[in-house]
Amino acid sequence: MRGHRSRTALINAVPVTVFLIVLFIYPIIGVLSLSLKGDNGAFTLHWYTDALSGANLSVLISTLRISAETAVLSLLVGFVLAHAIARMRPVFAALAMLIVVVPHFISALVRTYGWIIMLGEHGLINTLLTSAHAPGAPYSLLYNETGVVIGTTSVMLPYTVLILQGVMRGVDSRLLAAAAGFGASRWTIFTRIYLPLVAPGIGTAGLLSFILCLGYYITPALMGGDQQTVVAALIDQQVMKQDQWNSAAAFGVILLLLTFAGLGVLGLARLRRKKAHARRSSS
Amino acid sequence: MMELPPTRAGHVGRALSASAILLFLAMPIVIILVTSFGADGIGTFPPKEYSTRWYEQMAAPGGNWATSIALSSLVAALTTVFSLILGVTAATALARGRLPLHAAVYGLVLAPMLIPQVVIALGLFLFFEPAGMLGSPLAIALGHTVLAAPIAILIMISTLKGIDERLEDAAASMGAGRMTIARRITFPLATPGLIAAAVFSFITSFDEFFIAQFLSTPDTRTLPVLVFNALQFDVDPTVTAVSAVLIALAILALALVALVRKLGGHRTGRSALPVEPLT
Amino acid sequence: MPERTNSLTAGKLSADDLAAVLAPRSNAPTGKSLSVTGLRKSYSGTTVVDGVDMEIAAGEFVTFLGSSGSGKTTTLMMLAGFTEPDSGTIEVDGRDITALNPGKRDFGFVFQQYLLFPHMTVAENVAFPLTLRGVPKAEIRRRVGETLEAAGLSKFAGRKPRELSGGQQQRVALCRVLVYRPPIVLMDEPLGALDKKLRDQMQTEIKSIQRELGLTVIYVTHDQEEALVLSDRIAIMKDGRIEQFDTPRGLFEHPRTPFVADFLGAANFLTGKVEETTADGSTPVRLDTGGVLKARPHPCAPGQRVRAAVRPGKLRLVRAEESCCSGTVETAVYVGSLTRITVRLDGAAPGTPPLRIETAAAPPRPGERVCVTADREDVSVFDESDGG
Repeated sequence: MRGHRSRTALINAVPVTVFLIVLFIYPIIGVLSLSLKGDNGAFTLHWYTDALSGANLSVLISTLRISAETAVLSLLVGFVLAHAIARMRPVFAALAMLIVVVPHFISALVRTYGWIIMLGEHGLINTLLTSAHAPGAPYSLLYNETGVVIGTTSVMLPYTVLILQGVMRGVDSRLLAAAAGFGASRWTIFTRIYLPLVAPGIGTAGLLSFILCLGYYITPALMGGDQQTVVAALIDQQVMKQDQWNSAAAFGVILLLLTFAGLGVLGLARLRRKKAHARRSSS
Repeated sequence: MMELPPTRAGHVGRALSASAILLFLAMPIVIILVTSFGADGIGTFPPKEYSTRWYEQMAAPGGNWATSIALSSLVAALTTVFSLILGVTAATALARGRLPLHAAVYGLVLAPMLIPQVVIALGLFLFFEPAGMLGSPLAIALGHTVLAAPIAILIMISTLKGIDERLEDAAASMGAGRMTIARRITFPLATPGLIAAAVFSFITSFDEFFIAQFLSTPDTRTLPVLVFNALQFDVDPTVTAVSAVLIALAILALALVALVRKLGGHRTGRSALPVEPLT
Repeated sequence: MPERTNSLTAGKLSADDLAAVLAPRSNAPTGKSLSVTGLRKSYSGTTVVDGVDMEIAAGEFVTFLGSSGSGKTTTLMMLAGFTEPDSGTIEVDGRDITALNPGKRDFGFVFQQYLLFPHMTVAENVAFPLTLRGVPKAEIRRRVGETLEAAGLSKFAGRKPRELSGGQQQRVALCRVLVYRPPIVLMDEPLGALDKKLRDQMQTEIKSIQRELGLTVIYVTHDQEEALVLSDRIAIMKDGRIEQFDTPRGLFEHPRTPFVADFLGAANFLTGKVEETTADGSTPVRLDTGGVLKARPHPCAPGQRVRAAVRPGKLRLVRAEESCCSGTVETAVYVGSLTRITVRLDGAAPGTPPLRIETAAAPPRPGERVCVTADREDVSVFDESDGG
């Protein structure tokens, strides 16, 4: 009966493969071909030169900037959280993980709405800060980049915390004990032993938040101002309001290429680690 | 960790920073839940007076909200069915069989979780527009299945890997045929995973905005599309009640999955985040 | 849980009761005979089973004994139908079943990991094979009840397997197989996960059920003692082949290869040259270290180089006689009922291991001069070219 396994596996793999080829791969190819077609149907790179110049280019740049800021902030916050959770008592650690992960399953729209209420001029944060007579309060935390990055960071945080937790759990604490035994200071242990050990996780988490942020739309659209128009919002506008499908397609392909580049870096880093590991175990 | 005994300052610092971050993360959700019962809508926090009027408005029959909730439910139900079919078959192929091109199929399954959703949505728009299927619940559900099926597949793979294949061998050695083994051994053991896959497929669709936005028409708008419009253009306080319902739905769904897993007594499908295959 | 701490007595299987419940009315053995010819299996170029031939009689208890990688489990899996042989045939009572699915063979299979269905109660687990066979509900209830009763598991009928101890789970697994009365039962290290005390008890139970019911049992283990206690015949496996298939006594007293001699109960190997056969038919071997050891009759020409094997317990310390080998005691360790002595023979090449001797008599002290000999029936001779 095990002889039929690969045949059964093939048959079972058919539905998902067909489905994703028809409704995922083929439509993306459609986007690609549309982006290379002029109004008369001939091949052109016009949409790309258009996308990479003037106001369009600045949209692309602010998308990259917001993604990078989000990646950095979610790494920082994620690291602090994951590090603290690793040292909490199990009950508190479970509770903390619940607070980190449960929002992931709540609509991003709803969470963004929550941030809007909370960060507004008369929102909870500003009310608290004003009553505490913080200098300069109320701050403008909404409809600018601060608001967008706070919102997107909260969306990416479950990913970064989970990934960082994974690598932190993998750190052999005896290595740190050994370093302490040689008389290394806390700072030395942290920067020379601990950080290099968790570095692969930091890289993965940062890149992943960056990639996932590139095509993100809801939070920048609702919490940003004019300076925070992102590529996804531009695509939405061009399709829904301006009927400029070709241009939208070109932007889509650019996002896709940026994503592939990010995934490529992730893959290369993994490959290098694997190779290094193979070298070590073979010698 | 045992490298050096933690200092008191370090301990307090860690606890404080973690608590502040966690509080910051939890606050928006708490604020929505509280505000939704405020009589004056989005006005102030905490509200001065409490009422359930926004909930009543949301549920008013024939209203925009009730219509879109019905549409979203239909789309999510269809998505769940499609995702379960794809989830069970694909996971059987990926977790159990010796599948040729295993890595290629697995990569294809993971791809929709990493590709920008706006690109998927645009592609689907270009796909369904010529067919005149914009606004069709079926089209939206098929689109949502592109996002939900990978989640269902990952959950089912982890579920099937958690079931000892030799239990099926044991049943076979007693004379059970393939169908009997599937019906009496594999299916009952996979039930917690199936429920988790169904729940996550449903809420993925129910909460999905971008694909629904591209595939909707002014007459057919799913709940997230309506919420988005309400937030961006006309601030309708009812949206707070809708948001609170969506939060409750997500928490109930997670509680259901946790409960089923606990009753099942064996660990299946740990995470619906695509984190594990990436690290 | 009180039952769990008391797992040795709670759920104690009464073999006689169980056999009485399960036995058919006639006295004829219920087991069937099994015939295996030329069974082979290799995985990606590595031969795992390399030509197994054996005839197993109805009602016989046969054990495959070998270390891991010897091919014993693969052979069992091919008999069960879980693994497809590359070549060879398997016949039950003369009927070729090589191509049949596991379920169609009507065998019982007991796994090392019990493999009880976790979502079913104990009673449902035992009922499962009967429901597959379309047995009427009332009869299923009766037979499951009787079987669990006889196995002393009645009070666990409504429990889930994970609430039971390891020993109890394995008893349920056994009930689940015996309840449908398969003529041939295959067991893959079924007691491997149990502690020593429980294992000894279960061995006795399995043996008496098998005998009472006249079942044909094919058993796989790497535990020599278990194989010796249970089996009518043992197949010693090495590198995918059967080295020797014989009764425990036959294997012990007449090992056919140096491997068997050494594997079962350890042996001392001494090299030498065969001398002229004596009148009493024994084969005298002039050892390289000096002295002559008389061995069982062995077909070999005088002058041939051979290896003689003697078990540690069969070597005797004697006063200097004609055909004994002199040496010096290196160590003597008292281990309870007997003393383990190592002796370095005079003239032994450096690097060769010392002789191991077990004796119940008053032991010599280290450094003492001794002379070693053995009865000819206890000395086996192998051609020097034989491996092992």
